[in-house]
Amino acid sequence: MTTQKPESGDSRRDEVIAGEYVLGVLSAEDRRKVEARMATDRNFAAMVSRWQSNLASLDAAYEPVALPPHVYAAIERRIFDAATDTRPSPGLWNSLALWRSLALASLAAVVVMAGAMAGLFSSAPSGQRLVADLAGQGNAVNLVARFDAASGRLSLTPAAASQAEEKSLELWLIKGDDPPISLGVLPQSGEGGILLAPGMHRQLTPGSTLAVSIEPLGGSPTGAPTGAVIAQGRARSL
Amino acid sequence: MADEEISALLGRVALRDRAAFAALYRQTSPKLFGIALRILKDRSEAEEALQEIYVKVWERAERFASGEASPLSWLAAIARNHAIDLLRVRKPVANAIDEAYDLADPAYDPERSAVIRSEGRRIDACMEELEKDRADAVRRAYVEGLSYEELAEMFAVPLNTMRTWLRRSLLKLRECMER
Repeated sequence: MTTQKPESGDSRRDEVIAGEYVLGVLSAEDRRKVEARMATDRNFAAMVSRWQSNLASLDAAYEPVALPPHVYAAIERRIFDAATDTRPSPGLWNSLALWRSLALASLAAVVVMAGAMAGLFSSAPSGQRLVADLAGQGNAVNLVARFDAASGRLSLTPAAASQAEEKSLELWLIKGDDPPISLGVLPQSGEGGILLAPGMHRQLTPGSTLAVSIEPLGGSPTGAPTGAVIAQGRARSL
Repeated sequence: MADEEISALLGRVALRDRAAFAALYRQTSPKLFGIALRILKDRSEAEEALQEIYVKVWERAERFASGEASPLSWLAAIARNHAIDLLRVRKPVANAIDEAYDLADPAYDPERSAVIRSEGRRIDACMEELEKDRADAVRRAYVEGLSYEELAEMFAVPLNTMRTWLRRSLLKLRECMER
């Protein structure tokens, strides 16, 4: 009979704790410890998600139960009445720390250009420049989007391209509660730029959200996002 | 309903699409309510929990990565975790993970099977390899959110015996899934 010390990094023990967490048998305090570890230990987090997907077929035991309509009304109140902007961006910002240092050089170049061109395009709204940082939780790809109203050019700098085989990355503009508008499909490799239709220029304002989703090769077949959203961020004035 | 359809709705919810959120709720809330009700065993508590669950779904939709998990399993996990958290606060159980684990017996060696296979065997086939009462205990822990204490009482075995049962069963399942 072998017993393991709590502090030993025993992977059998880790497997069991990950399984116990997914089963749900742990105490509240132990559950928080497990979650804290998941946040810092990728291998352990992978064990948990493996149990999660392994045991998910047991979900078949749950019978659907109809709900009274007032429940959804209450949910809507909680989400949409709380604040118009439900998500402050510190989470996004933090995950950007890594690539931002990489992008600093190219941003600096843009700022210099902006300065140089100020004399040429001095009329205010058309000289507008916006920048948005787009980041996703899994960090498959992070992007910085820059829009130059003078040239109508929206440029994107991926910090890390994903291994998206036979997939396209599609860029979306979201304003308030309106359905996402497709801005186009990003080039398959490297730094990408999309030339916006002139009608789009006015749409891209500070505070609007840019997002990138994974779509079938060539872009969404429906005109609305169909795949996972891998990155999104809010546009702000540069 | 099709996974792709729920995935697509989740993608749109991540983009703050209210209509998609309403559609997602229509399609998935009976199942998630079934989960909350089964675990919490109290209708008004489960209704309250469901509201919190969908607030989490709204907030976390952008973290859903399709291809990684089935969208319905992802939603079910949010519902189960939330309901179990409420249950453990309502009725606390003993802390255990800082204590010694008795894990003798099954031959599972994670070092040996370092290559993680994406699919592996279905859990159902592996559950059948467990002794019947142990498989029942695993299933009831998962589905009803029972604690070790409740399981020990239900199966009329000492608490530590139940712990050993489930922990070894988990190792056996892991070994079976990777075989």
